[in-house]
Amino acid sequence: MPEQRITVTIDEKGQIMAKTAGFQGEACLDELQSLLEDLGTIHEVKKTDAYYQQNAIKVTKKQTVGRT
Amino acid sequence: MSAVVKTVTPFTQRDLLLEALDELGVVYQEKGNAIMTERVDDYGAQRFIYEQGAYRFQHDSSPWRKLNFNKWKTVSAFLGAVEKVYHQAYERLQQRLAAEERRRLEEERKRFVEQQKQAVIQRAKEQGYNIKEIRKGNKIQLQLVRTTY
Repeated sequence: MPEQRITVTIDEKGQIMAKTAGFQGEACLDELQSLLEDLGTIHEVKKTDAYYQQNAIKVTKKQTVGRT
Repeated sequence: MSAVVKTVTPFTQRDLLLEALDELGVVYQEKGNAIMTERVDDYGAQRFIYEQGAYRFQHDSSPWRKLNFNKWKTVSAFLGAVEKVYHQAYERLQQRLAAEERRRLEEERKRFVEQQKQAVIQRAKEQGYNIKEIRKGNKIQLQLVRTTY
């Protein structure tokens, strides 16, 4: 069964870093927002390699369909 | 899709935050529990609001709106600059303080971290996650796992 995973790291000053895995589309950002709302000002959001790899696969598939 | 988000270091000390803003030359005005900055977006002055033990920065997150910022064009750049100077002010304060006062500040910091942790755990439980807590040096790592069907 598929798993959704969030790793939350809280440093000694209370700063939070959270990383997601196993979410579909933009759902990971919604999930992080509801989890961290009011716990700090988010000032950095990075989409990870997994996101770009997933998008690259979609583009490749589209190109293949176009050629045949 | 996967993503990583980071919050800015919580500004728990009012005096240090004001010291940081002064050092950066940011014009501000205090109103109740808010520090209104000169940075203005469509929702008015961007501000630090004191809630649950720390100042949080309230702003309009839409990047395309007309803004009055000359320096630090983005909120992220602004907060990064404030954070850096705040850290330096915190270190200076630690050096100035007597041992007992340092302990008090340290206790306050630990309480705040614990409060952050408990809030994440509570919300994660409500959202159906299994939670595992791991200590990594001075950091706390919470691993939240949920199975989907």
